[in-house]
Amino acid sequence: MTFVIPFYDEIVGFLGISTILTSLYMQGQSFVDPTIRAISIQSLIITVLIVILFLHTGDLNLLYLAIITGVMRGVVFPLFMRYQVRRFKHKLRETGSSQKTPSLVLSGIIVIIIGYAMFRSVLASYFPDPQVAITFILLLLGFLLIITRKNSLTQMCGYIQEENAILYAGALIAPGIQILTEFAVVLDVFGVVVIGVILSAQRDVFKTLEPSDLEQLSG
Amino acid sequence: MEPEIIFFILLGAPVTGSLISLLPKQGVEIIASLSAAVVTVVTSLVLLVLGISGTFGYFYADSLTRIMAITVSSIFLTSTSYSVFYIRKIKEPFIRFRWYYCLVNLFAFTMLLAITVNDLGFVWLAVEATTITSALLVALERKKTSVEAAWRYTLIVSAGLVISLLSVIFVSTSQGTLEFSTLLHQPINNFMIMSMAVGFALVGYGTKAGIVPMHTWLPDAHSEAPSPVSALFSAVLLPTSLYAFMRTFVLLQGSQTFADLQNLVIGFGVLTALIAAIIMGYQRNYKRMLAYSSMENMGIILVGFALGGIGTLGAIVQIVSHAFAKSAAFYSSGNIAVAYDSTKMQDAQGVINKLKTTSYLFTLSCFSVTGAPPFGVFLGEFMILTQAIIAQNFILAAILAIVYMYAFIGLNRQTISMIFGQQSKEDETNASANSSLSISKDVRLTPTNKENFISVLIPFVNLTISLIIGIYMLPVFLDAVTGMK
Repeated sequence: MTFVIPFYDEIVGFLGISTILTSLYMQGQSFVDPTIRAISIQSLIITVLIVILFLHTGDLNLLYLAIITGVMRGVVFPLFMRYQVRRFKHKLRETGSSQKTPSLVLSGIIVIIIGYAMFRSVLASYFPDPQVAITFILLLLGFLLIITRKNSLTQMCGYIQEENAILYAGALIAPGIQILTEFAVVLDVFGVVVIGVILSAQRDVFKTLEPSDLEQLSG
Repeated sequence: MEPEIIFFILLGAPVTGSLISLLPKQGVEIIASLSAAVVTVVTSLVLLVLGISGTFGYFYADSLTRIMAITVSSIFLTSTSYSVFYIRKIKEPFIRFRWYYCLVNLFAFTMLLAITVNDLGFVWLAVEATTITSALLVALERKKTSVEAAWRYTLIVSAGLVISLLSVIFVSTSQGTLEFSTLLHQPINNFMIMSMAVGFALVGYGTKAGIVPMHTWLPDAHSEAPSPVSALFSAVLLPTSLYAFMRTFVLLQGSQTFADLQNLVIGFGVLTALIAAIIMGYQRNYKRMLAYSSMENMGIILVGFALGGIGTLGAIVQIVSHAFAKSAAFYSSGNIAVAYDSTKMQDAQGVINKLKTTSYLFTLSCFSVTGAPPFGVFLGEFMILTQAIIAQNFILAAILAIVYMYAFIGLNRQTISMIFGQQSKEDETNASANSSLSISKDVRLTPTNKENFISVLIPFVNLTISLIIGIYMLPVFLDAVTGMK
């Protein structure tokens, strides 16, 4: 069963751009809480995009994927991360991040331009859907968030963004792999438990969630 | 008996072992884990001896699968056995011992699943699951450095593996299926998309296998994990990730695209081996030095697989013999860490005076992993070098020869000076001052000066197996070369 969605391309395009905007918003935050809120919103936007894709194609697996993504990445993971922030009250702001956020937003814009140029020159002839470009850019922005930030929770948001990008790319270009991506989301539940335990250890041993102090290992 | 049952037993044993390990009865976790490991070894032997090949429901087996299965199972058994000695020396473990055994079992299960499953998507899922099951094992000793290493490991490897999921998506887009047995016999629909899939697989699985420049987690995690876990990481986790990559790369075999990508893969392999060989000689932590040695070996193995021919055989020989030799090295290093309460070379000088058997085992293991004849790694490296010469790639052959030499000298010079050297007066004074002032060396083990029988028997057995592989495989190598002529 498929539905004809009025303004399908416009709606999908608008939502796709929104995911990139949430990503840029995350780049510009020096506090952890807004970053967590942004990743929650981004995950919910991806959920809506997958629901629209389900209505458009009628593939029921996409609906399951949307439900599991919305619940886990839109609600459960952000709640878990906010719980971690609450448990560590005096470190809600990343050290020295206020000075570098403008340059990080600028870096984000440069990454978007480079990502789009790479997509146009390499992938566009094989994947003509412009939404694929959005997933590619989101992936690069996720990496940028991980490599430029010190706070473990912000880095985790970057990782979730990467997974969101791949999940949406899978739904768009490889309709047969929804079951795999569903498993991947379920596997993340265990991952979150493990990460929670490691974050607790960071709190106990280092008294901080910023691995800037974790510089014992070198060589 | 249906062959499919063998796979269910192979995978079911560690899962059962992990569940029984959680029962709140002292000692049950050790019995359960050892039993599970023995069952996996026996089942893998059955697979190997019967030569089971083909597709069996969800599973797929060929000669590489069988060899990988017996390697993973054997190291699982020896690491579990060595754990009985080692982990009770940890003063304040990060997780309870029953959880440790549960996770080791699950870790073995995920690796065996990655090797045997007949679906590239589930191969990815299993490799991803190895991170989840092993991350907490890295932090077991509750040191600052081990917690740091666990976080770096989780984040870098997970971020890298996302890229390999992209590879899986691309394979599915091009070929319309992820079933490995089907993909092997299917013509390639879109070479460009498939070559991108191989590129993403190289970056993604390469991150887990410690391929440069995605290797940064590896020296940290290997050096900070407890020795039995380091052995599992180095001996079987890294080859399992390479195996996952090879499953994608091999799909293009026989095409021009394969030949084009061959140079890229060889480039990554050579770069990894070269950088690791150079850095290895400057390490001040002996477990970290062994970690770089693992990177060097993985680089060479990648080159072997990419070269094909005798190179592939060499890569397989090296995987197996490196697994046994390197695990022996890590178990011996565990004995040293327990005796000296430190993994710094500076603190562990003149080991021969304190731990005689361990000293010899550690030295021989280091010789073995750096390709000293007649151990298996030597034969593997020689086969890969031979293939480079056969392919008339003399520049590659020259670089490989330099890497072998550099790694051999770098690692063994450090090892000999640590084992047979004497602590300088200054170091001795510092060590005693630290100890009298109770300055923490950030190692949380209960020191002991006596060598436990089990703690030397296990590395001895593994080292002997590495030696046997070298001797046993020599005629096979000579036959292969003669056959080519």
